[in-house]
Amino acid sequence: MKIKTGNQNKRRFYDGILQALTYLSSGISVLVLVALFVFIFSRGWSSINMDLLTNNYWSENYNVEPVSEVADTTFERPADLSEEAYFSEKWGVAFVDHVNAHKEEMILVEYIDENSPLYAMSDVSIRSNPQDFTMQVGMQVSRLSYTNEQGDTQLAGIGGQTAQDVAQALDQATSVNSMFIQTTGGGIRGSIISTFYLLLVSLVIAIPVGVASAIYLNEYARKSKFNMMLRSGIETLTGVPSIVFGLMGVTVLFPVTQLFGATTTSILLGGLTMSIILLPTIIRSTEEALLVVPQHLRDASLSVGANQSQTIFKIVLPCAVPGILTGVLLGIGRVIGESAALIYTMGTFINDSPTLLSQGTSLAVQIWSIMSGEQPNYELACAISIIILFFVLILNFAVKIISKRFSKAWY
Amino acid sequence: MEKLVRPHISPEKNQKKMQKDAILKAIFRIAAIISGGAIAVIVVFVFMRGVQPFLPGYENGQVNFLDFLFGTLWRQDQGIYGVGFIVINTLLTSFGALLISFPLSVLTALFIVKIAPKWLSKVMTTIVELLASIPSVVYGVFAAGAITTLVISLASSMGMSTAGGNSFLAVVLLLAIMIFPTITSLSITAISSVDRALEEGSLALGATKTQTNFKVVLIAAKSGIFAGAILGIGRAFGEATAVAMVAGNKMFGPTFNLFDITRTLTSTMLSGLKETTGLDYDIRFSVGLVLMVVILVSNLLLNLVKKKVGNMS
Repeated sequence: MKIKTGNQNKRRFYDGILQALTYLSSGISVLVLVALFVFIFSRGWSSINMDLLTNNYWSENYNVEPVSEVADTTFERPADLSEEAYFSEKWGVAFVDHVNAHKEEMILVEYIDENSPLYAMSDVSIRSNPQDFTMQVGMQVSRLSYTNEQGDTQLAGIGGQTAQDVAQALDQATSVNSMFIQTTGGGIRGSIISTFYLLLVSLVIAIPVGVASAIYLNEYARKSKFNMMLRSGIETLTGVPSIVFGLMGVTVLFPVTQLFGATTTSILLGGLTMSIILLPTIIRSTEEALLVVPQHLRDASLSVGANQSQTIFKIVLPCAVPGILTGVLLGIGRVIGESAALIYTMGTFINDSPTLLSQGTSLAVQIWSIMSGEQPNYELACAISIIILFFVLILNFAVKIISKRFSKAWY
Repeated sequence: MEKLVRPHISPEKNQKKMQKDAILKAIFRIAAIISGGAIAVIVVFVFMRGVQPFLPGYENGQVNFLDFLFGTLWRQDQGIYGVGFIVINTLLTSFGALLISFPLSVLTALFIVKIAPKWLSKVMTTIVELLASIPSVVYGVFAAGAITTLVISLASSMGMSTAGGNSFLAVVLLLAIMIFPTITSLSITAISSVDRALEEGSLALGATKTQTNFKVVLIAAKSGIFAGAILGIGRAFGEATAVAMVAGNKMFGPTFNLFDITRTLTSTMLSGLKETTGLDYDIRFSVGLVLMVVILVSNLLLNLVKKKVGNMS
């Protein structure tokens, strides 16, 4: 029987609609990804520079006074000083105009000579306890009180004045009475250090425990009920929400960190918690690698007299290294991106000088910290997001390359 | 079994070697027990901490368990903690996200495996992997900056008002995006493992390629696709930081208005976290316990449904 053309057209029509639906839904996912990247990059890209990486988050204020009088010598303008910097020959210091991430104009120290009277100063923020203070490049001068040739006390650097004004004022000054110095804040140096600590602690624990577990499950364990339970326990661990891991961290692991002297939630606690979160990832990728190691290699090793542990360390594990590496890289990505568990175990206080036993924020937690405040700072949050995305994408790319190269057995 | 050792090897040395082997085996075993037992430790300790506020003799004043479970008011400042409406909100947002994400994910998976040309399917796979690897806090920033703007313009076009875009709808959209890669990647696995003979049979009977894809391939892969949906909704329940950025944390509820602010279990656990002692801190463990129960129960129910769906043919 011949098919009617009408029917055929109808069928083609419906097929076309269904086909178009699949194109549409794929298109939506592409759109979402593009929108996300456009948003993050357009808001955060302008804030990314070296200052962001090296500055502290909190800006510090200093009220400083010079300890030495101005000498009669003049200073040479250094040849490599940029055109935009204004140099005071009398004091050996150069200033530059700057606009920070919050669009505030400020005057920064661009250059300071080591023999300048403004180099080694005294921090008198607390009058009774003066501290030594060293002027550094990049510090913000927000007020400068000086005495000019007529013996009047004048102020420079206050609202509306530019770097040029300050440099000219200094050249006429016979002595500087006091300066008000601020370090620029808004950086992520502390969080970067915390993230490294976190990675160190979590990987140092998770890699040996994870690899050993995978070895036990794959090389030793017989099919007993107990071992099946262990397996399903590890499997279930993948489905636990990360915030529950955070709860577990503060109840179960906090006493462990107390043994090391922790009094509050700390980076160490965050690292320990992360190591538990990483276990299933590392176990799974190690096991996958162990599974493809051919049985005859093990048999050969055993038959020449090596015992089982020798076989594992000298034959099986070296073959499984790419798989373990994949797990470790995935784990690093997970640690960099994790936030919920760490909010509970490390706190949300952005710490500029973190130690293992102090509170601190990883990069992801710093985003949470600045977003959950009264006035979310999208520029900084997006800038940190770009950094996180950069690392996560590189790690994923590396995992892909490794698994592609080593997917075919090379032995 | 008798160990056969050649006579010129000293028995002591051999024994030492065997001992070392046994010790290492024990170490491996302990590591495996630690990894496998972690889940039990988590459940037991969170449970113990979570039920504390309901036990008599609790230091900060005992909380009535039923009031907690069915309460419709959550006032940290007044010490009133009712989690009932929060559970409903969590279920609503998660299933709302699944409703949006599920068809999109399945169609995308079908596109990647069966319809797209090879280069395009490679590109699409990479895109899904990229979406999966983006950390939740980055999604949170995106949601707080972009999705809320979308919600605001949507609300104003419908003559509704929102609290700066933080809303039920924003949470649903965010979760839909976040569970999309999970469901898609499991659907891809399910669809690509459909027996080729089934497809060829359908084609031989005169069905078109598209009819085969939709009526044979998808039906054959439904069990795997459903597993993806279960995993996706689990992720939606447990998602914390990103949701907390756009939920708005309403103090009473439940929220049925798409443009009104809402409060989920996870956003409750994260909001206003300052001190690490007292009732306000301990009650978060109770909320965590409720979250675990919600995930467990919904997983069990969905698995039952999956069995029903899987048997139907």
